Amino acid sequence: MAKKKEKLIPAEYIPDVGSHVLTIDKEKYLIANDAMYTFYQRTKGEFSTFFLGLRDAKKIFGCKCPKCGLVRCPPFLTHCPDCDFAPTRPVEVGQVGVMLSTPPITYFANSLFLKMAPYGRGRVVLQGADTALAVNVYTTTGILAPGIIKKGTEVKVIFRDDRNGEISDIFCVPTSELTKAQVAKKGLLSSQINWEAAVEPTLKKATASDQAAYKKAFKEIKSVIKLMNETERARKDIAGWKRDIRVKTTGGEFAIIINNGDISLQEKKLSKPDFVMVAKSPKTLADGLAYRGAITDSVIMKRLWISKNMEFTTIFKLDRMARSVARSKK
Amino acid sequence: MSKRVGIVGAAVTPFKAKWNEKTYYELAQMATREVVKDARISIKDVDSVFYGIYNDIFERTCIPEHALHGLIGMQNKFGTRISTGGATGAYTISAAHAYLAAGRFKTALVLGVEKCTDCFDFMSMSATPEVIKSIGWSGDSFFEQKLGWTAADSYAEVVLAYMDEHPKDLKPEVTAKISSLLSQYAKTNKYAQRQHDQVTPEEVMNSRLVVYPFKELEICVYTEGAAALILAEEETAKAISKNTGKPIVWITGLGEANEHSFAGKNQKVMSRIMSDYLGSQRAYQMAGIKDPKKSIDIVELHDAFVHQLEITMAEFGLVPRGRADTLIDDGLMLPGGKYIVNPCGGLIYCGHAVGASNIMSAWSARNELIKRKKKTAIVHGTGSTIAQYTAVCILEHA
Repeated sequence: MAKKKEKLIPAEYIPDVGSHVLTIDKEKYLIANDAMYTFYQRTKGEFSTFFLGLRDAKKIFGCKCPKCGLVRCPPFLTHCPDCDFAPTRPVEVGQVGVMLSTPPITYFANSLFLKMAPYGRGRVVLQGADTALAVNVYTTTGILAPGIIKKGTEVKVIFRDDRNGEISDIFCVPTSELTKAQVAKKGLLSSQINWEAAVEPTLKKATASDQAAYKKAFKEIKSVIKLMNETERARKDIAGWKRDIRVKTTGGEFAIIINNGDISLQEKKLSKPDFVMVAKSPKTLADGLAYRGAITDSVIMKRLWISKNMEFTTIFKLDRMARSVARSKK
Repeated sequence: MSKRVGIVGAAVTPFKAKWNEKTYYELAQMATREVVKDARISIKDVDSVFYGIYNDIFERTCIPEHALHGLIGMQNKFGTRISTGGATGAYTISAAHAYLAAGRFKTALVLGVEKCTDCFDFMSMSATPEVIKSIGWSGDSFFEQKLGWTAADSYAEVVLAYMDEHPKDLKPEVTAKISSLLSQYAKTNKYAQRQHDQVTPEEVMNSRLVVYPFKELEICVYTEGAAALILAEEETAKAISKNTGKPIVWITGLGEANEHSFAGKNQKVMSRIMSDYLGSQRAYQMAGIKDPKKSIDIVELHDAFVHQLEITMAEFGLVPRGRADTLIDDGLMLPGGKYIVNPCGGLIYCGHAVGASNIMSAWSARNELIKRKKKTAIVHGTGSTIAQYTAVCILEHA
């Protein structure tokens, strides 16, 4: 059952009433902040058995057609259209299954799911079911990278500790990351899994060649950031955005400051950054900023570590700025 | 017996990432003004209008077409709206054709419009996350939306399932070359959102992952704009054509199919876009096309993602399933190759103004058939969750 008291729309999502004027070719246009919202007390109707099963009993129900024997999970209908609408009956299905196909991984999420990214969303065929249930998939080992979960990967359903009777009350992780007892347990909770905590990577002591590499990369980063600041398209990419980023690399550390259209590089250690970036090689960041491969991909492939997944948004903005500079040169 | 129906006018507005200067009212009227000019008729000569508008949330109103009816000069006449996700435009053409072929009307305006980037995310201070969210309301509201369903991850499910079956197809270097090629095509399309954004295959390869396996430069862009066609039954079409001096492009085949939205045994086959296969087969049959590989000259397909473009070409029967990379490896879609694919730049470079996109594709196909003196084109739209919906049109230039 849900314990936390939350608002349907978190306060931070709600903008203030306001408007501004935009001038294009000497004509003025009025732009107003606006919203379209509707609240519901919406029934789960015939799906109530399924959603109550998730919320209260930590069970997963499908429905079985007595004529063709097909077990559908989720139980998205009450009568089988393949058997002249024969009535189906609820049946409990297993909590282990296999992925129907390789799940996609979302790195750039919609505004409601930024906190959840990166996440996989795929379809699992649970033991005893014939159809596939859409689920989020995660790894217990950090950021979900391509190749960890594929077609045929055996996964286990995990129940969130705080449940509301929604499909998001459950998610799956590979059984290979769990103990036998955990795989066998029905109604396994998220809090009963050992999630590898995000640990900041330690950097080795820099050698003379590391120092030289750092100097070279730092020089390039400095010049690219200067170029970004001089490029109108790149400045637009960080309009309204503010972030103080502490960057640690083998050989040295520095700060990148983003401030509503401005970006600057400062040779100092920030004591209260919005987030921390750690790259073993400073060249990783230099390459990304210079548009020689995406910074996003460096995070996914663990060449670059960030202290908060939410800050993928900032990483996307830096990637976009790199592209904007490249486009402006054409 | 049903009547022959042809396209006698076509127009688009510039496709842009953001039209701060105009609302969707003006964009719709702009396309209408241009299309009647192209057909050299008065709006008073048009009997009916078929609106293609995908998403009420984009337009920030339900029944968004009601405000358009009077301001495009169609008051007191027939008007209906089609909304079938990404397939909206192609389905709208199909609906208009049905009414004209049945003899209900002599002329029809097919009008697609979309205004999406008014949506704005105040958290990231950018439009895109909010546009994705607005599209996200299209996912299944009981079993998908709360998992972070997006159009991109939904198409990616199908693409990855295809790649599970055919691991050697859809190679990154091929998808990168296709994206680069489309960017070159957009160079000559003055209405394209990315007319001046030519990219190299290397840039595509280096662009960031947005939703695995899609990279930023392999994905369509969000667009605001409108597109319009004038359709007419045979006698009226001939009279209009005589007046304009422009040939009629006949709609000789139509096919549609909508798949199951759940997957697994007896449901959607994830590794296929069966709707593309069935829709194209039905359209070929109606047009009397026995071998599409011999008949199709120009393809204007809905390329939401480069990978899906390749799968759709295979489902159309234009390349073998599992060997879609022959589009590049064998030069089938390279300049001088067998097929001219998305010469407007497609939805990736011309832009994706959802309700207007397939109508823009038909505008391009008509132009290309006439300009290049080719005979047959296929126009396509795909949409909804896991590429569920398809509508296909065959256009022929006598």
